Amino acid sequence: MRPLQPPLTFTQNLESYRSLLVRCLKGSFSYKSTTINNLLTTLVAYAITIMIWHQVYQQNPNHVIPSTQMYVYLLLAGAVNYAMSLGMEFRIGQRIRTGLIATDLLKPIDFQMAQAIQSISDGLFNGALSFVVFSLGFFLFGTQMLPSSPSAFLLFLVSFVLGFTVIYGIGFVFVQGAFYTYSGYGIFAARNALQFTFSGFSAPLDYYPPLLRTITDYLPFRHTIYTPVAIYMGWVTGPAAYLLLLQQLGWTVGLFLVGKFLMGRALKQLEVQGG
Amino acid sequence: MKTLKLYWLAFSTALQAKFEYRVDFFLGVLTSCMLQLSALVSLWVIFTQTPNLNGWSKEEIILLFGMVAGALGLSELFFNHIWMVPFYIVMGELDRLLTYPVNSLYFLLITRPELHSFGNLVTGLVLSYWALYHLNAPLLYYFLLPLFLFSGCLLYTAGLVLFASLSFRFIAPTSMHLMIPHNLLNATRYPVTIYPAAVQWILLILVPFGSFHYLPASWLFGKEPGLGLALAVLAASLVFFWESGWFWRWGLKQYESTGS
Repeated sequence: MRPLQPPLTFTQNLESYRSLLVRCLKGSFSYKSTTINNLLTTLVAYAITIMIWHQVYQQNPNHVIPSTQMYVYLLLAGAVNYAMSLGMEFRIGQRIRTGLIATDLLKPIDFQMAQAIQSISDGLFNGALSFVVFSLGFFLFGTQMLPSSPSAFLLFLVSFVLGFTVIYGIGFVFVQGAFYTYSGYGIFAARNALQFTFSGFSAPLDYYPPLLRTITDYLPFRHTIYTPVAIYMGWVTGPAAYLLLLQQLGWTVGLFLVGKFLMGRALKQLEVQGG
Repeated sequence: MKTLKLYWLAFSTALQAKFEYRVDFFLGVLTSCMLQLSALVSLWVIFTQTPNLNGWSKEEIILLFGMVAGALGLSELFFNHIWMVPFYIVMGELDRLLTYPVNSLYFLLITRPELHSFGNLVTGLVLSYWALYHLNAPLLYYFLLPLFLFSGCLLYTAGLVLFASLSFRFIAPTSMHLMIPHNLLNATRYPVTIYPAAVQWILLILVPFGSFHYLPASWLFGKEPGLGLALAVLAASLVFFWESGWFWRWGLKQYESTGS
């Protein structure tokens, strides 16, 4: 059977992804009030966690991690988490429920890559807001906010990018469930609960009870927040830091392949809604 | 009476429609329980570092956690549609609702129940009653608990209505700003006294999410106000919910629909 149109060349593919990224970014930045709302929401969420830990440190200042380091950790963990907030589950869930997924699948670009581009757009937009919030920390904690060394900062950047690819991989694997449930909420909430618990968002993993710490070691979630932030803080350096980067890379590749496999299975049983 | 019947019919029809997505229902319930548990894990981690939080024990804070989850679950079950308002404004989809011979706010609120709310509701009730049992609470508190949860549900929904009404002025296809009241509600899972005075004022007076469980719990644990103040919260929540209607009407005056 003759295909609807010949497959795109590599250059055409790149151009398509570039156009998609620009369009998604324009969409994100087009509503200025949203930007302010997002900023406020982020500030409230970060402030609450920090205030709770402030109380803990007020009652007992003698902890493994000094209070100023703890506040910087929480602020950076919050900023990284926000930069990695992808709307993928809701976006795909909504399109499956309304049947619009059919038009996405008919497009001549790879669905998984197109979702990755949209996620990069989410990441750039959220990352810009996170940077603003994180920068505000300089007014409170001064030079404590700086990375432990220039090399730690460079490693942090690499780890952050890898952490982003890990969270995208996790999200894409989870979102395959939406092809069976026809909704994105449950999928989002499940991923979010695991992310919140095992990523080190609300506290450094060093404070986790042994059982929880062991579970965390076997899951990819710690590589989305704890790993980049611990590298930034200088808690992990040298070969240990490189090993963590390798683990992040391993999870990225593994999750990408699992996502591709699961999508192939999900599409075989998909019933397009609507009409 | 006729209006109430109409509301009930609208609610039950919407509920039936939601039950069509059975797998999503079970997954939603399971995952909302997971979300509550993940918050409890944070509490567990905190209590590995301190024996109490400003004089509040782990069990006492679990009671606050449970009551917040219960109030959240009730709001999601009965009034969850408010989260869609920002999208409806962008798409001009409020037009049809405004032609109905009903109160637009109340009708909107009840016509999109979320089934994952059962997860929050059940987790909330289990945690609350577990905490009451372990704290040897008087029997009266067991009976008053549903009333306090209802009060919390009204307060939280009123807060959501207030923020959703801002969507008429600041148009955007996102309900992210509704996460502000949601985050404020979550902040009250911990005793409000651990926060600075200004935050306490916000959580107890301005957007009084902290009142429906903190005040009754304080009374129960003999920390501060008496039963009278705890019960006054019930009346205050009704007033706050009613007042949120003002913001809704203010917002509606600015609604312009769309040209397409």
